Amino acid sequence: MEEEQPPKKVPGVAGAKLRKAWAILSAVIALMVLLAAGYAAYRLLPNRAVSYVDIEEHFKYGSTGGEVNLGIPYWIWQAAPLVCAESLTEVADGRLAPDYLTRAAAYLSDAAGAAEARRQLSREGYKALGLVYEHDSSGQERDLPAGISKRRYLGVDRVFLNCAACHAGTVRKTPDDPAVLVLGMPAHRFNFYAFEHFFFQCAGHKRFSKRDLIPEIQALGGDLSWIDRYGVYPAAISRMRERGQWLASRLGFSYRQPQWGPGRGDSFSHAKDLLNMPWEHLPDWRTQGKVDPRSLGTADFPSIWLQGPRRKRSDGREMELHWDGNNDRGKERHLSAVISTGVLPPSIDHQALCRIESWLLDFTPRNYDDFFPIDNALAYRGAPLYRRYCADCHGLNGHDFTGRRVGFVTPIDEIGTDRFRLDNFTEDLAVNLATVFAGQARQPCSADFGASGSQTTAGAGGGGRLAAVQAEEENTYRWTHFHKTHGYANLPLDGIWLRAPYLHNGSVPSLRDLLEPNNNRPAVFYRGNDVYDPQNVGFRSDLPEADGKKFFTFDTRIPGNGNQGHEGPEYGTELSADKKDALLEYLKTF
Amino acid sequence: MNDTPRSGPKPSQLLLSILSLLAGLLGYIVWERGFREHPQPDWVRRDDPTRFMYGSIGAEKDAGIPYWIFYVLPRMFAEKLPGPGGYAAIGLPWEEGQELPIGFTKKTLGFPRVANNCALCHTARYRTAPDAKPVFAPLGPGHTTNIQAFLRFVIDCAKDPRFNSDNILQEIENVTHLDWVDTLMYRFFIIPATKQRLLERESQYPSIYRTDVADWGRGRDDIIKLFKYSLNPIDDTFGPADFPAIWNLKKYDSTPGERDPQRMNLAGDTWDAYSVVMDSALGLLGGAPHDSEELIEEVQWITDYTKRTPPPAYPFPIDTAKAADGQAVFDAQCAFCHADNSGRVGRPLPLVEIGTSRGRLDRWIRNAAVRANRAVAAMGIERRGLVEEDLIGYKVPHLDGIWLRAPYLHNGSVPTLRDLLDPASKRPRVFYRGYDGYDPEGIGFIAQGSEAERIGTRHDVSKRGNANQGHEFGTHLSGEEKSSLIEYLKTF
Repeated sequence: MEEEQPPKKVPGVAGAKLRKAWAILSAVIALMVLLAAGYAAYRLLPNRAVSYVDIEEHFKYGSTGGEVNLGIPYWIWQAAPLVCAESLTEVADGRLAPDYLTRAAAYLSDAAGAAEARRQLSREGYKALGLVYEHDSSGQERDLPAGISKRRYLGVDRVFLNCAACHAGTVRKTPDDPAVLVLGMPAHRFNFYAFEHFFFQCAGHKRFSKRDLIPEIQALGGDLSWIDRYGVYPAAISRMRERGQWLASRLGFSYRQPQWGPGRGDSFSHAKDLLNMPWEHLPDWRTQGKVDPRSLGTADFPSIWLQGPRRKRSDGREMELHWDGNNDRGKERHLSAVISTGVLPPSIDHQALCRIESWLLDFTPRNYDDFFPIDNALAYRGAPLYRRYCADCHGLNGHDFTGRRVGFVTPIDEIGTDRFRLDNFTEDLAVNLATVFAGQARQPCSADFGASGSQTTAGAGGGGRLAAVQAEEENTYRWTHFHKTHGYANLPLDGIWLRAPYLHNGSVPSLRDLLEPNNNRPAVFYRGNDVYDPQNVGFRSDLPEADGKKFFTFDTRIPGNGNQGHEGPEYGTELSADKKDALLEYLKTF
Repeated sequence: MNDTPRSGPKPSQLLLSILSLLAGLLGYIVWERGFREHPQPDWVRRDDPTRFMYGSIGAEKDAGIPYWIFYVLPRMFAEKLPGPGGYAAIGLPWEEGQELPIGFTKKTLGFPRVANNCALCHTARYRTAPDAKPVFAPLGPGHTTNIQAFLRFVIDCAKDPRFNSDNILQEIENVTHLDWVDTLMYRFFIIPATKQRLLERESQYPSIYRTDVADWGRGRDDIIKLFKYSLNPIDDTFGPADFPAIWNLKKYDSTPGERDPQRMNLAGDTWDAYSVVMDSALGLLGGAPHDSEELIEEVQWITDYTKRTPPPAYPFPIDTAKAADGQAVFDAQCAFCHADNSGRVGRPLPLVEIGTSRGRLDRWIRNAAVRANRAVAAMGIERRGLVEEDLIGYKVPHLDGIWLRAPYLHNGSVPTLRDLLDPASKRPRVFYRGYDGYDPEGIGFIAQGSEAERIGTRHDVSKRGNANQGHEFGTHLSGEEKSSLIEYLKTF
């Protein structure tokens, strides 16, 4: 009997079908993976700043690279003053309208203007920190203030500080006049201390989470794509929370210091932070009323015009600058300032910086008589007084800096001003700074000075003993010119009318006050008013508040705020009233 | 059946050639990025002091720390340093504008590495006034250097569980950009290897963690660097001593066949300068050199440099009339031992005659010297070497550049020359060492006051190894005689 055999599958044909199906599936999966990878690369790889052709726009809104390390995602920046309105109220110290919190919590319905109203509320929050919003060509306020740049990095638009945050400020002729933004002047209204503390506290706040931020962003009109809403932004929020805490732990030293107030910062304590020098052992001013004599370096933001003429002083070397004259190389000072915007050495945008440096070589300050008239006859009488009392240390005038001691350091015992800033920059810090930017290859920049083939001659060059030869061989941005000094530098006085308050620590509100001996100078005054006082030559410092917004009370008896020094017959404090008037009038021409 | 002959190479042969090509490429990359030696930049040898301070002695290969790890350690583990200030907190002499402190050599062997040379412990730093620039005297005693803190620091970092590839690479990324090859090498080889090496150092230098004795303090060590001593088992002896000045070493040259030649090291442990330099270099290398010829050449250069370089002149004005008076006092009181032609200078004096702390002397073990001499000879290095006998006491030192060799006595227990001319009971019992402000009244470094306290390390003479008794010579002289004697000593 024949056995019935079940029909066999022919292995070849069926197997081939299976293999084919498998091959197609693999191909489809591979294609999907490739597409996903391609999209991810497209989304996440670009590192692209918003850039501007116009140099002034570039200065105000262009990036120096800070977004890479500490960038705040654009929509989180917009939402922060609203989500963290409590923190803002705390740090803004009377600069915020009393009902801000209420208004921030009062959401409008989905009306057409609702999103714009919230964006406006957000900007109002930043204005309380002293940031300035310009208007675009159609008269609308811009979405970001001067001093904040934007860059796309790791898939998200981020913003952070640039040079203009600290080096552009406003002036008003009268309280009713519009504020004029002047580039290159100290940002005398920007409260950097409050700005930092706002973000430290916000990033640690219970509301700083996707639960609160995403809906706020939507209320602000931020149209987040699906990927942004569920992937990118939640990740960015986590990262910012972590980064914020890391930063708060490093920069927490400022919590222990007396508040800086607007227009001031402690850059070299920041530098110590860059090197992670510990600060937890320092006394706390808030609770103990004490400060460490070597850990308080608060000083005014400087002006940054006319960097070109600052490269030459009477002995052929470059001017020793920074308030204490600790560095005579412009490039190094610029890099040092960029670090203050949060950039770490590998992420600095050197091309962007180069553009600004080239521009600053010849950039001149705004003229006083664009705003107020100058009595030329009076000024003419002031010129010989200036030449006799001031020119040796401060230069011939506002653009010619010839003078025997211009750009030299006057010993502290001679100048007699507050020591804290000087003592904060220690010898240990000076040597450690020589490690920064090691290994960062230089990119050519025509504004550079001091690279091989530069104009500084071997003997006349500043910097460490071996700096000149090492520069040739290393060709990096490594800092070789920081050195410990024992006094403060004699600065040129270009645009001096805009550089109030005066002395390195901004402890003397007006030039007229500076021509008084120390006991006649105001012991307490107010910083942050941009209305100018042409009589005394400085910003108005007598009003504790205006328009319901408080100004910062500056008490010269607090450590670091001392207003003594730069006084005595050689400093003009004993001149007659007439002569002082003439001298002040002449200084208006600078 | 397929029987057509294949026209090209077999797939297996192709695969093999591709693999060998890849292996070759990998090997090249590993050599290039891991081992290839680059000479140091030209500026290192531009002049003798610079070469002494920054020139490599070849220690990078075995004792080098990878540059970027060295760079970030103070930022990652600031709490393990004695105070704020990065490496400056350890008192390392450091010229402004320099990437590394003095005594640190940077050399690229595949990747940049940092090691040490003699200048670390043999460069003196001083300031003539609080607002004067620091002056560095190569070959001087490294009185500010806290070598124990440095050695402990790097080992403590390695022991910390946070010393891992993730954290270190993260920190490195904050300061520089490493390409993907370097990143992989750091992550998988360099960082783990460094951790292991640093941990090994603890067993190599166990004495730095002793808890039964006080810290060495700035400017001193318990003689660990000399190769011989690194062979010693740890025993109960303790003899911290100052890093000496090593200038003008031709003063020790003896004529061949001389019956009672001068000897080197504090107790006359070694026959000649070359041997000391060689043994110290071997101590820094941590073992046998890879290239004996290169090492010998460098040691010869260093020895020659130490022999021909005079001490720096006293930087304050000297009253020559007073100094002339002082010469008479010196000739009467001190020349017997300390004059160049005394026949005693440079030779050991029985301890009972000087009466100073015996700790350092007790560290000597004759058998260890014998073993060390054999070990070095086995490396193929010829030198006169260590004295193979028992030591009787400390050597009478020459006084060249004595102004900069504070604190005084072999264990640095007397801060100034003026103090040395007092009987031991009157000398300071507690002071601070390692502060660089100079004291032209007392002749020595400022050892009291808020600055010295803030910066220096505390020296308490009642602690083991710190005793300040002995050498009570000239203590009976009148005030005027002492002053003129000190004035004369400024001229040395």
